[in-house]
Amino acid sequence: MGQNQAAHASTDDVSGDEEFDPIGTLTLIGIYFVILLLAWVYIYYIEFLGRDLVVVG
Amino acid sequence: MHIHAYEKFWLAASILLILLLIGSVTYGAVGPGVAMVADSEPPIDAQGLDEDERFSEPRVEQVGENHYAAYVVAYQFGFEPSPIVVPENSRVTFYITSRDVIHGFEVAGTNANTMVVPGEVSEITVETDGPEEYGLICNEYCGAGHHVMEGKVHVVSQEEFEERNSGGDDA
Amino acid sequence: MSGAVESKQSFVDKYPEEARIVRAALLSSFLALVLGAIFGIIQTLHRTDVARIIPSTDYYTLLTAHGVFLAISFTTFFLVGLFTWALVRSLDRPLLNTKITWTWYAIMATGMTMTGVAILAGFVDSIDMSADVLFTFYAPLQAHPLFYAGLAVFIVGTWIAGADFFRTWLAWKREHPDERIPLQTFMVLTTMAMWYIASSAVAASVLLFLLPWSLGLIDQVNPTLTRTLFWFFGHPVVYFWLMPAYLLWYTVLPKIAGGRLFSDPLARVVFVLFLLLSTPVGIHHQYLDPGIAEGFKFISMTNTMFLLLPSLLTAFTVVASVEYGARQRGGTGLLGWLTDLPWRKPEFTGMMLAGLMFAAGGFSGMVNAGMNINYMIHNTIWVPGHFHLTVGTAVALTFMAATYWIWPQISNKAIYSRSVGLFQVVLWFIGMALMSNAMHAQGMMGVPRRTAEPEYSGFDYPVMFGGFEELNIQIAIGGTLLFVSTVLFIANLVLTMGNPETTGLAESLPPALSGPSDSPRVLDSLRLWFGIALTLVVLAYALPLAAIINRGGLLGPGVGTYPAWTTPVLDALAGAVTPLVGVVGDVTASLVGVIG
Repeated sequence: MGQNQAAHASTDDVSGDEEFDPIGTLTLIGIYFVILLLAWVYIYYIEFLGRDLVVVG
Repeated sequence: MHIHAYEKFWLAASILLILLLIGSVTYGAVGPGVAMVADSEPPIDAQGLDEDERFSEPRVEQVGENHYAAYVVAYQFGFEPSPIVVPENSRVTFYITSRDVIHGFEVAGTNANTMVVPGEVSEITVETDGPEEYGLICNEYCGAGHHVMEGKVHVVSQEEFEERNSGGDDA
Repeated sequence: MSGAVESKQSFVDKYPEEARIVRAALLSSFLALVLGAIFGIIQTLHRTDVARIIPSTDYYTLLTAHGVFLAISFTTFFLVGLFTWALVRSLDRPLLNTKITWTWYAIMATGMTMTGVAILAGFVDSIDMSADVLFTFYAPLQAHPLFYAGLAVFIVGTWIAGADFFRTWLAWKREHPDERIPLQTFMVLTTMAMWYIASSAVAASVLLFLLPWSLGLIDQVNPTLTRTLFWFFGHPVVYFWLMPAYLLWYTVLPKIAGGRLFSDPLARVVFVLFLLLSTPVGIHHQYLDPGIAEGFKFISMTNTMFLLLPSLLTAFTVVASVEYGARQRGGTGLLGWLTDLPWRKPEFTGMMLAGLMFAAGGFSGMVNAGMNINYMIHNTIWVPGHFHLTVGTAVALTFMAATYWIWPQISNKAIYSRSVGLFQVVLWFIGMALMSNAMHAQGMMGVPRRTAEPEYSGFDYPVMFGGFEELNIQIAIGGTLLFVSTVLFIANLVLTMGNPETTGLAESLPPALSGPSDSPRVLDSLRLWFGIALTLVVLAYALPLAAIINRGGLLGPGVGTYPAWTTPVLDALAGAVTPLVGVVGDVTASLVGVIG
């Protein structure tokens, strides 16, 4: 109960006031995204499709 | 609902990534034509393999112009036939079933890989390249001797294939 | 006033009985961890041919124990303990009736003991009891009936735990009619709701088929059917493991970082997505099964790829919450703020390393999910490489890290050595990085999983990202570091338990930056989400299960297909759904045609 009341008070303070912009997070997750993309392209198109005995039927 | 602009951007990027993944897999199915093991073969009686024309005598035989069928039985703890001898640069359809429990059929280092379930026949078709010797592994735990369950897949020249198969392959 | 005094009271001060239950659950969890770790080190050294001290046939007994004790007992006992704490803390009220709570705990303990005994009896030749069937217990491999019975009892215990949580929440709801569900409680309830759906199938498989079969009451079972029922459960169980870790990352990690949860609404959305999507994806564990149509596999694949979404969102929200904390502590710069974080705290570093490792595990998971690319790695040691990153680190390491934070609050005892704790979590990360990396590499060479001796007489593996023997050494070293880390963790906890009680250990959790009021009330409609989840599961599984039963019979070939009167009903259902699937297939094909 007390916890919820405190929650209401704080979110009223923050929202609409100073919005926190997680630019560091965006950067980190952007790097992760690029790694995922490159790794996927490598592993799917080069490793997997390049192997012997691909099942075609 | 309040979502921060960056998180909205990330949500969009995530969905894009997901669609890319689905797209890649779909491409694989449609372009190179990778097909999944499925229910194409009717169920079979695992207790009655001796009455089945294909599996009573596990073997490789020609079924069409440059198309070969390999009938394979997996059992505790080996594969029949062993080695499985197939010709190079040809189309080979493996039909694999089990006499007892669930096994795996994995041609080591390649994409030929399937589950082998008693009562079912796994059908996979591959295209062989040049001559090569592959290890064949059971990659699904099947009991105390699982680790000794192995076989071989030999891709050989057309001449060698005819030589080895002419005597009738009931190894 | 009273708020200030209460905030100095630790959890055990306010709720001594509940704290006792939480401690009991966590200790049961760690007992399973100890056993699992001992088996793990023996396995690691055996597989890699460093030290083979047991006959290879016993390896499979060990492996069954390792899988069941770690993936079912360790994880689930920790979950019920953590959830008891989270529910009571966030609702700020005691459990409805602790007699019920102790009952479900006892039932779970009994069930796991039954199963454990059945498994371990496999080491003793003179006892005619064994369960060398591994964590997945695929028929026609058969275990002693005690194994199956114990699992059923254990699952029933968890169902009662869920009911306990729901009833306590409902009592709170009556006292707080218009309030939003507190976030931690929301997470507990959605997770348990998902669990009810997920565990129903494996419970059915065990009770209707496997247990009677092991008792000799029925002759045979349909292997594909029991396998499919297992994986109906087997995928959502990984979210049963993950969601407690997510609860910690969302609600506790921000606090430890000195920050606040970036978004409560998004956390709720993520948990709802898990409730909806965790179960209709199980067939992705059966991509290479004969007897299941490709269409069902394709649907499972698309569902699975969308299941990435809640985890990707979690990455953002959690890191943003930590970044907020860092900036509050004075961190600046694009990435410089990373240094302004409490890296000396084992609970912080442990959870951060767990999250980092999970990011890598997410990638190997994408590969596993990619239907046709599954050919490359199915049943190779790549798969254990993947899940040691996810359950083995994201979950296990988070649980250990969380213990450093939570144990003082549920016992009033300070951790014996925080520096050993820090060393232990870093050691885990390093050990896992070595071991899992080598497992992935070996998997790509085709080295199989679940085998006592991965070397074969007839052939050598291709040399790819290192040689087979090199990678074996890496696995052995990694596994050894993990074992040492586990020993340090347990020793630290045991010594902590011997510490004197003290005060001042209470911790509070700050409110989120964007609170529950920022989200639509419909998120809290658990009934709605449960209904949708159930619908999605029926859509995903009705046809495949019907097809499997039709092909192979309910109990195996020729033994009892489903009753004839259901045929027209199922045909109608198939008739309705197939055109839909066909349309999707056509649209996809034409899209590919346009792009390709």
